[in-house]
Amino acid sequence: MSSEVMGYNAAMGLGLVEEMRRDAEIFVLGQGVATGGWFGAEKGLASEFGLDRVIDCGISEAFEAGLAAGAAIVGMKPVINMGFGDFALIAGDEIYHKLAKWRYMHGLDVPMTAVIIFPIGTMGGAGPEHSSCTEVLGMHFPGLKVVVPSTPEDAKGLMKAALREPNPVLFHSVQGLGWARGEVSTDPEFIVPIGKAATPRQGRDLTIVTYGSMVPRSLEAADTLAGEGIDCEVIDLRSLVPLDWDCVLESVSRTNRAMVVHEAAKTAGPGAEIAAQIQERIFFDLEAPVLRVGGKDFPLPQHSDLEAMSIPSVDAIADTARRLFAI
Amino acid sequence: MPAPDPALLEQMFHRMSVARAIERLMLVHTRERKFSGWWHPGEGQEAAPIGATAALERDDYLWYQGRGSAWAIGKGMAAGLILGDLLGKMNGATRGKGGGVPHWADYSIGVMGEGATLGSVYPLAGGSALASRIRKDGRVSLADFGDGTSARGTFHETMVHAAAWKLPLIYFCENNGLLVGTRLGEVSPTENIADFAKGYGIPGIIVDGQDAVAVYEATREAAARARRGEGPTLIEAKVVRRHGHYAGDPQKYRADDEFDDYRDPVDVLAARLRGNSAERIAQEAEAEVKAAYEEALAAPEPDASVIERDLYHVQ
Ligand SMILES: Cc1ncc(C[n+]2csc(CCOP(=O)(O)OP(=O)(O)O)c2C)c(N)n1
Repeated sequence: MSSEVMGYNAAMGLGLVEEMRRDAEIFVLGQGVATGGWFGAEKGLASEFGLDRVIDCGISEAFEAGLAAGAAIVGMKPVINMGFGDFALIAGDEIYHKLAKWRYMHGLDVPMTAVIIFPIGTMGGAGPEHSSCTEVLGMHFPGLKVVVPSTPEDAKGLMKAALREPNPVLFHSVQGLGWARGEVSTDPEFIVPIGKAATPRQGRDLTIVTYGSMVPRSLEAADTLAGEGIDCEVIDLRSLVPLDWDCVLESVSRTNRAMVVHEAAKTAGPGAEIAAQIQERIFFDLEAPVLRVGGKDFPLPQHSDLEAMSIPSVDAIADTARRLFAI
Repeated sequence: MPAPDPALLEQMFHRMSVARAIERLMLVHTRERKFSGWWHPGEGQEAAPIGATAALERDDYLWYQGRGSAWAIGKGMAAGLILGDLLGKMNGATRGKGGGVPHWADYSIGVMGEGATLGSVYPLAGGSALASRIRKDGRVSLADFGDGTSARGTFHETMVHAAAWKLPLIYFCENNGLLVGTRLGEVSPTENIADFAKGYGIPGIIVDGQDAVAVYEATREAAARARRGEGPTLIEAKVVRRHGHYAGDPQKYRADDEFDDYRDPVDVLAARLRGNSAERIAQEAEAEVKAAYEEALAAPEPDASVIERDLYHVQ
C-alpha cells in the first residue's frame, strides 16, 4: 500500500478531505475553518468544497456544538472544530446532553453522525484554560464515542472512521503532537476502527497502558528500560469509548504488571477507571498493584517551563516502571 | 396572508380539542394516580402551538419546549403515543422511557423532540436550519420557547448567526409572563421578547396568542419569508398559563383578578368554525383521548432492558 510522510494535523485534514469527497452530507464548521483553521488541519478545505460546506462562525461554542447536534439529528454529518478541549465545558449541555442523549431520551435507535474536534493537552504556554485534557468527560457521560490518536496515521484513520460512525464522536487531537510526522497510508479506504487499541511495542515484563501524547514518551521510556533488562509492552488505546478491554486484559494477564500513563490530571482521570477495572477483572493475575502516572492535580501553568514539569516526563514514566518491576 | 380554509380550521380545532382533552385528563391523572415526574399543564396556551404548527409543512422541523402536548399533537402526532408515554408505557412515543417531561419525537413528521435543559432548542433548530440551507430543501425550522428562556446565552449565540446567514428559522416565544412564579418584568429589560429582534435586524412580531388563526397567519408569513431566503423571524405569542407551573403547584404568586379578562383559546377558535361543527369535533376528540387513555392504562410497563436501549446505533 502506498504511504506518505506527513504531519499529524495534515493527516487529520487529509482524512477529512477524503471523506468529504465521498459524502456530500459532511460539512465543517468552526472558528476560522474557512481560512485554514487555527492548527492547519482545515487548510484548503474551503477552496475545494466551498463556503456552503466549510463555514466560519463567531465565538459561540454552545451554538457550534448544539448546531452539530441539530444538523446530525436531521441526518447531516457535521464536523466541528471546537478550538480547544477546554471549551467542552462551555458547550457542556450541547455535547453531554444533546449529542450524547438525544436519541436515547427520545427512544430512537437511529444513526447520528457528528465529529467534535477537541484539541487537548499542553502545547507550550497555552495556559490553564487552553491546555486541559478533557477526554475523561466523554467516558463519564454515556452516549458518545471517544478517540485520541497518537500518530499521524491514526489521526487520519480515526477521522475517517468517525465520519463513517453512526454515533457522535469526540475526536481529541493532541496539541503537543500537532507537528509530529510519520508514515500515513494514502489509501482512501484505510481506516482505523474505533474501539481497537494498538500495541506499538511488545514486551514480557510489564504493560504500559497509555494514549495520546504519552505514547511517544512511554515508547522512549521503554527503550531506556530495555537497556536495563526491563521489557515493557506499550498499549496505545487510541479509543477510550469503547475501550479495548480485551487487548488490555490479555496483555496484563501475560505480563502480570500494569501501569497507566496519561497527560490528563491523575485524580479521577481515565487511568483511575482503567486501573480499577484491571484489578476488578484480573486481580489474581497481578503481581503488583496497578500504578498510575498522570498530570499534576493543579491547573496547568501559563509558564512553559512549569507547564513541562506538570505533565509526565519520560523519566517519570521510566521511574514508575522500575518501581513496578521491583515489586 | 390567506386565513386557513375551513378544512384546515376544522383540523386545527380537532387537534386543539385533543390537546385540551389531554390537559383535563392529566390534571385528574396526576392527582389520583402514580405519575413519574411533573406534568407541566399547557391549558390556556394551546392556540400558539396549534396555530403555529398548522402554518408549517409536514416536513418542516419543530423543536418544542415541554409545556402541555399541543406542539406534538399540532404537528400530527397521535394522542395514543403521547398518553402512552406520559403513563410510562411501552406503547408510548419513547417505547417505555416516558413520564413527566416529554421527549416525543417522530422525525418523519418533523417532530424533532424536546430538550429539557431549556434553551437547548435554539442551536438545535439552528443546526437543522443550516442543514436546510446546505441541502436547499426548502424546509423551515421552528424553535419554541417560553419567555423565561429568552435569557439563555444560546438564544443570542444562535440568532446572531441565523440572522447573519439568513437561515430559515423561526424563534417562537410563548410569553405567558411567568418563569415559574417570577414575573418577566423582574428579569428582562424589555417589555416584549419581540423587542430583541431589533438588535438582530430581523422582524419581531407580537401576536394574540389566544387566537390560533392570528398565530397561524403570523407563522405562515414568517415561514414564507424563511423559504424565500430572507432569514429568521422572532414571533412572540402573548399567552395565558391557566394552571400552575406544574400540576399541583399551589400558585401563591398569582393575583386574584388575573383571569378576569381570560379568553379561552378553544372558545376563540370554536367561534371561527362554521355551523355547530365545534361541538361535534370536541366530542370526537374527547372520545379519542379517552380511548387512548384506556389503551395506555392497559399497555405493558417497561422492563429493565429499556434502560440499556438506544444508547448507540449499530449499523
Ligand atoms: C436550563 C434550565 N434551567 C432551569 C430549568 C428549570 N425550569 C423548568 S421550566 C422552568 C420555567 C421556564 O419558564 P419559561 O421559559 O417562561 O416557560 P414556561 O414554564 O412559562 O412555559 C424552569 C426554570 C430547566 N429545565 N432548564
